Amino acid sequence: MFKGKGYTGRILRINLSTGKISKEPLPDFVVRNYIGGNGFSVYYLYKELEPGIDPLGSKNKIVIGTGPLTGTLWPSSGRFSIGAKSPLTGFWGEANSGGFFGPELKYAGYDAIIIEGRAKKPVYIEIFNGEVAIKDAKHLWGRNTKEVTLELQKEDKETQVLCIGQGGENLVAYASIMSNLHRAFGRSGQGAVWGSKNLKAIAVRGTGRVDVANFDKFIELSKEAHRKVQEDEAARQMFTYGTNLLVSAKQAIGEFVTRNHSTGVFEGAEKLAAEVLKEKFNGRPRACFGCSNACKEVYTTSHANPWAPDMVTEGPEYEGTMAFGSNCGIDDYDMILYVSDLCNKYGIDQISLGIAISFLMECYEKGLITKKDCDGLELRWGNKEAVVALTHKTAKREGIGDLLAEGVKRASEKLGRGTERYAMHVKGQEVSGQDGRTHRSVALTHAVGARGADHLRSLVTVDQLGYKAAARKRYKDLFKGKSKKEQEVILNELCNPYLENYKAYAVKVTEDIFAIRDALVVCWYTCGWPPIFWIEDFARIMPLATGEEALGDVQELLKIGERQVNVKRAFNIREGLTREDDTLPKRFTEEPMPEGPGKGQVANLKVMLDEYYRLRGWDLETGMIKRKTLKRLNLPEIEKELDKLKKMID
Amino acid sequence: MPKILIVDASKCVGCRDCELVCSAKHYQTFKSSLSGIATIKFDEISRDVPMVCQQCEKPACQAVCPVNAISRDEETAALVINYDLCIGCKACVSACPFGAIHFDDEEKRPIKCDLCDGDPECVKICPSEALKYEEADKATMAKRRESIEHLPELLKLITGEKG
Repeated sequence: MFKGKGYTGRILRINLSTGKISKEPLPDFVVRNYIGGNGFSVYYLYKELEPGIDPLGSKNKIVIGTGPLTGTLWPSSGRFSIGAKSPLTGFWGEANSGGFFGPELKYAGYDAIIIEGRAKKPVYIEIFNGEVAIKDAKHLWGRNTKEVTLELQKEDKETQVLCIGQGGENLVAYASIMSNLHRAFGRSGQGAVWGSKNLKAIAVRGTGRVDVANFDKFIELSKEAHRKVQEDEAARQMFTYGTNLLVSAKQAIGEFVTRNHSTGVFEGAEKLAAEVLKEKFNGRPRACFGCSNACKEVYTTSHANPWAPDMVTEGPEYEGTMAFGSNCGIDDYDMILYVSDLCNKYGIDQISLGIAISFLMECYEKGLITKKDCDGLELRWGNKEAVVALTHKTAKREGIGDLLAEGVKRASEKLGRGTERYAMHVKGQEVSGQDGRTHRSVALTHAVGARGADHLRSLVTVDQLGYKAAARKRYKDLFKGKSKKEQEVILNELCNPYLENYKAYAVKVTEDIFAIRDALVVCWYTCGWPPIFWIEDFARIMPLATGEEALGDVQELLKIGERQVNVKRAFNIREGLTREDDTLPKRFTEEPMPEGPGKGQVANLKVMLDEYYRLRGWDLETGMIKRKTLKRLNLPEIEKELDKLKKMID
Repeated sequence: MPKILIVDASKCVGCRDCELVCSAKHYQTFKSSLSGIATIKFDEISRDVPMVCQQCEKPACQAVCPVNAISRDEETAALVINYDLCIGCKACVSACPFGAIHFDDEEKRPIKCDLCDGDPECVKICPSEALKYEEADKATMAKRRESIEHLPELLKLITGEKG
């Protein structure tokens, strides 16, 4: 059992089939090789899930993981991770969010929860420090996430709640799990896994403490870190305006995802600019636990708002603004706010739903489907009523919503008629609000993500937001042994959003480091955007938190990060993944960007993918992990299993 | 003149950094019940209100304390608990009209703000200037001015600006 600090040392295991509740010691091995957070999912899901299981069956498991920094003063450390095999992709599934549940779980005395089996009828789990109970959720089933949260807080308002809405109950393949009403574990359909297990919610209240190994130095470094965030100009901008700042930044490089990824320029962008929204909706910042960045914008609608008058809501983030705004040809933020809030209540991922709706709209506009296919809806670009109607229908799986609830991959396969071409997904997960044609590193990021077209596991921002100083520091190996002139060329090419050069290296390094980020767990804001903290900062704080000196070594941390990327890869290989799955919708590789500053650009995925595989030690032809890579990362069990399955290259 | 700790809830972002530094400073751990300040969260309206001892001029906590364990610090004017005298009866917890005294069941003692001997940690970490530590006159006048600025219609009347 791990005896160091930063952890509670306990893992809670709950079997919903048998009702058995047990508390396991946190193994040293897991701390030293996987750290925590998403690392708990990586370790336990690979080890305990049989390949080929039904993601919505009783054999799938849920892992909820906090990290050694959760509940401490280190900035933006309120996040935690949830993992399970994804019902959307059939591959690796994980989601990560902020709020206040993670620290509360740690104060209750647990580093992680593992949930197994399937309850016969709807239940919720109640945790009050050492007391854990599985309770009847009859009164909660069928209700939205806001109602459930408030109901479970009735007796003790300080209770933190994680729950699903009707989306998860109805097994919408991209259902989310929500906390604090507006914090979403959005991607990869984790909410549907909960629904399939009849698990409606977890309510936790903890009154304990989190201790760290070297208290004085930990506090000193944490305070300095908060100061850095508070003094960073870009972070202050985010504090003031929220992540909708990206609307204008992306429009400027031709990457503001519009009309189902058909273009990167939106004529209504000015109406969606962060400054405009702040003014019109009286925006004010709100934070997750321990965060000086406060990226959430609270918006209040006017009395005259036709969709939701006098509504106070949080968000949406840039991604929601994109998904229901530019992506559907809509510049009316009154309506976008309403649909975003609706998704949070139903518990549905805004990115996937927005892309699913825009998929149907494009098919309709192209004449591949008709009104008859769409319950009589006229799915023209910009039809706001249709977007609202499809949101309700999808959550309830009514009519065409039943098809949309499967995600664009399965929906297009069922529809046929050439609609597959407009299904914007990778591995079954809808493509988030970036465009690999005009932000080249993200083409690779989307293609290789273990959970499908995902931006958050390796998003390189230096070629998007022009962070040259950060680029030179972060990807320093590129510049070693080069002349000043050569270095200048490398830097310019690395930061050029329209070139493939050096992107594979940047994506690989970022992915390894973000795996550490997700293990600690800290937010990607202040790491990726703006670029404040990086691996050296993590290496400084980790020994102070845990007392584990090895976790203070950058090389060791990078190895742990790389190990996690490879275990997820092995998980996917075991599920049948090959190089063919690391791909992009043809739009990004064959249809040149039609307009804007990046007009004419397409992504050359192959050249980046080859280079990325080489750097990873994966086989170029099959995408499988080479034996020597598994040996280097000290993964003998995985080597043995993949060998047996004949899914490894010597 | 001693300074006062003044809270502007409209600026609070709800991060709870103030609680973390408070329990860190006084008890070398992270535990909200060992903090003299607490952020009360209202997720339904997306609001957060930091609650902390007001260092009252007529302190109910001091009045009810049966062993005179609560006294006023001469320099900071903070009401400070002398734990050598405190018997842990919780009368102060009951008496405080703000609920600003918390009873911690591990330390078995009431926890309240002592203004960190005149250098409050919470004020230094607050990312949104929701907490300020200033002379009473300066702080309250600033509050007055800000309140008027938040009433644009009234301001227009005063300045004669046409709306």
